[in-house]
Amino acid sequence: MLGERDRAVLDALLPPGGPEGLPGAFEAGFEEFERGFRADAPATMRLGWRAALLVAAWISPLLIRRLPPLDRLSADEREAALEAMGKSRFHLIRQVFLLLKAVTSFGYGSTPAVRRAVGYDAR
Amino acid sequence: MRVDGAKGERFDEVFDYVVIGSGAAGATAARALAGTGRSVCVLEEGPAVDPAAFGADSWGAFRSMFRDANGQIATGRAFMPVIQGRVLGGSTVINSAIAWRLPDDVFAEWAALGLADALPPKELHRYWDEIEKDLSVAATPVEAWGSFNTLMRDGARRLGVEASPTRRYASGCGGTSQCLTGCPSGAKRSMLTTYLPQAESKGAVIVTGAEARRVRIVDRCAVAVEGKLSAPGRPSFMAKARRAVIVAASAIQTPQLLARSGVRSAHLGHHFMAHPGTPLTGLFDAPANLWRGATQGFDSTHHRRDYRVKIETIGLPPEVVFARLPGAGRRWKERMALAKQTAIFAVQTRAWAEGTVREGPFGALIRYDLTRRDMMQIRRGLRFAAELLFAAGAREVWPGIHGLPEKLLPGEAHRLEAGPDNPGSYSWILSHLFGTARMAAHGSAGVVGHDFAVHGVPNLVVADSSVFPTNLGVNPQHAIMAVARLCAERLAERTR
Repeated sequence: MLGERDRAVLDALLPPGGPEGLPGAFEAGFEEFERGFRADAPATMRLGWRAALLVAAWISPLLIRRLPPLDRLSADEREAALEAMGKSRFHLIRQVFLLLKAVTSFGYGSTPAVRRAVGYDAR
Repeated sequence: MRVDGAKGERFDEVFDYVVIGSGAAGATAARALAGTGRSVCVLEEGPAVDPAAFGADSWGAFRSMFRDANGQIATGRAFMPVIQGRVLGGSTVINSAIAWRLPDDVFAEWAALGLADALPPKELHRYWDEIEKDLSVAATPVEAWGSFNTLMRDGARRLGVEASPTRRYASGCGGTSQCLTGCPSGAKRSMLTTYLPQAESKGAVIVTGAEARRVRIVDRCAVAVEGKLSAPGRPSFMAKARRAVIVAASAIQTPQLLARSGVRSAHLGHHFMAHPGTPLTGLFDAPANLWRGATQGFDSTHHRRDYRVKIETIGLPPEVVFARLPGAGRRWKERMALAKQTAIFAVQTRAWAEGTVREGPFGALIRYDLTRRDMMQIRRGLRFAAELLFAAGAREVWPGIHGLPEKLLPGEAHRLEAGPDNPGSYSWILSHLFGTARMAAHGSAGVVGHDFAVHGVPNLVVADSSVFPTNLGVNPQHAIMAVARLCAERLAERTR
């Protein structure tokens, strides 16, 4: 189950509102996908996902010279901290960020609301 | 006959031939051997997925049809996802169904390695003629191009370079960009819908949910395959082989299986070669609709010989596209909103690098590191791909490369050629895997001989791309199928 801190990470990664009527992660129903992911994904992938959420919560603030955890920061700072993961000079941190985005994308991008918003009709 | 190991169904029989793996190599070999009237058993580790159940859900497809849910990784200076199917029909179910005959220059390289008689071009071309008829190979039809494939044609025309619609195993492709999830429209002619049912109709027994763990070898003779079913409790099975065991489990699984079976060779699991690929995203003013069109419907081999690269279009569903878009939070969503205006051209290189594959505690340990020469090829290829995108009308190119700007503007493609040398700065996909049980006349130089048999075990043959002495520079399914057919026919002749 996603904890409050995990939810803060995902909310910063895909916040509500924005262009083209794209919903936020939780508005799109990401939590349901995540439950299924934890039940079905291979153990190494589940472990990677948990590690990615932890790194995002506890390491990313340090990359913008703020004290962790992420949920102590303002909305703008949270986004900046996550962005910094993607630009980190450390390959491992960039890979962890990619994994965070990949798993989030699988759940988010396959929801009807998101597909509708970006004009994808799976035939 | 089908046997579902996931339900614990048994098949304790003796077969003339036991084939391990049901992908391009295994299915082709099984069909050819079943055609001789002898009994054949095909063992597939993954499940049988009903084509009617193919959908548009990428994660669902990864979970049910990809090895490690597409989480298999090669490690080195970069982490590279290694894409493999783990399903009845193997990677042919989830690939883009591209058919390339082996280029003449690759044949020449193989001949220089002493393999002209073992892998004769004339025979392989004869098989390709047949396979192309069997599997409806044709250039991607115009109606399945969609916008993003057409953009490569436009860019190539403006640059005056070569690009063409890919030749694929498909009949009536609807251009749904869903090759990855198995082709819900049923157009793809994978092994699942062609050679496997044909082998079955000739009497082959096809067992799914059956992981081959080792080949039992007694007095230099392969006598059985032992393994575990995927049913609860993982019950054991043994498939006995009267004449031969054919290993067609892929360049990742084959060396591990042979090593577990007691095969010893300094070359086993070494010489691992591949075609690493990295994508480039172009932003256009008008929709490029990268989720509407044949998945890899167009390619350019203009620089196949000099830069050793091939450029391919890629159509993907949103959930796969989004992960690679830059940014987080609102900026990520802004990019998502632009996704329908993007097209992706991927650069795939015929790398010089050789890696290793061995068994680890949690699966295959794949070690692979690109060389400086490979990185130079890739950077040149990326520049060329960016030039194609700009020539097609892209207003921006998003490299996704650490150390380069997030976007490049027209006139800035050259910056890609001067990009970082560290593979860790790029995002990769590793596909097309070769060489881990390479063919050579003598055991001192390879794992299998010219008759495809493991040196020292005449009735244990390897039929997949593990035996290839080099990588190819083009998509390998066609070469794998023809070589597997050759292997099976020689084996049938030898074990008459």
